[in-house]
Amino acid sequence: MSVAQIIIALVLGIGFGFALQKAGLTQYHKIVNVFRFTDLAVLKFMMTALIVAMAGLFSLNGLGLIDLPVPPQTHIVGNLLGGLVFGVGMSLVGI
Amino acid sequence: MKQIIGYIRKDQWSPYVAGSLLGLVAVLIAVVSTVFRDPSIALGASGAFESILGGLTQLVSPDWIAKNLYFKAVRLPGLTWEVVMLFGIFVGGALGAISSRTWKLRWMPDKQWAEAFGQSRVTRWVLVFLGAILLEYGAGMAGGCTSGLAIWGGLQLAPAAFVFMGGMFATGILTALLVYRRRY
Repeated sequence: MSVAQIIIALVLGIGFGFALQKAGLTQYHKIVNVFRFTDLAVLKFMMTALIVAMAGLFSLNGLGLIDLPVPPQTHIVGNLLGGLVFGVGMSLVGI
Repeated sequence: MKQIIGYIRKDQWSPYVAGSLLGLVAVLIAVVSTVFRDPSIALGASGAFESILGGLTQLVSPDWIAKNLYFKAVRLPGLTWEVVMLFGIFVGGALGAISSRTWKLRWMPDKQWAEAFGQSRVTRWVLVFLGAILLEYGAGMAGGCTSGLAIWGGLQLAPAAFVFMGGMFATGILTALLVYRRRY
């Protein structure tokens, strides 16, 4: 990795962490309450991020300015089993 | 301008504003990936732990890493884009708390944890350790976590993201039911 890449990664990571903290997603109750349907902040946060990113990504791609990233591979059993294990951890300790 | 700074300093943003910031970060990552012509530049967090561990193992036994299929085909060991970004996430989270003057070191999470699991610090740390193992193992199996798979994959409508989210919510709700029982 070049120095430029490291600096950019740091800055973008800071943006990511800042957004997570300000949405309150660093706290246990915010994460677990989405599974109790008493506080949907996680879903609101994720879906807004998806919409904004989709709009930006596909507009820029349509203008021919950027390439679409390589999407994660779909292996239904792996994705599903991983998600099932992941959900237990996420709901139990809220991270 | 004063209002904007005032909003930035608020303890909690609307999730829609914070989500927009993450969406913007995701678009910028795609731009950077195009500029450097490097498809490994992506949004994600869980893979960084594997890369760090792989990099450390490489110092001790490089042969083992060289032969390991996972570190050859799935995730590169050592200092990758995700590792640097993970460090940035920590810094960004701390900056977020500092900006609202709520930054402090704590042994225990919020009130709701104590209501569900009691006041014991040992319980908290043991459960977090076990929970984090499940998270990392699950993310490794699925090929990403909430950010790397659900968001980065979801924004391209990759089926993997939605299969993962379905699984995550199924057991997440079940676990919350078991923990909270009547108070669910």
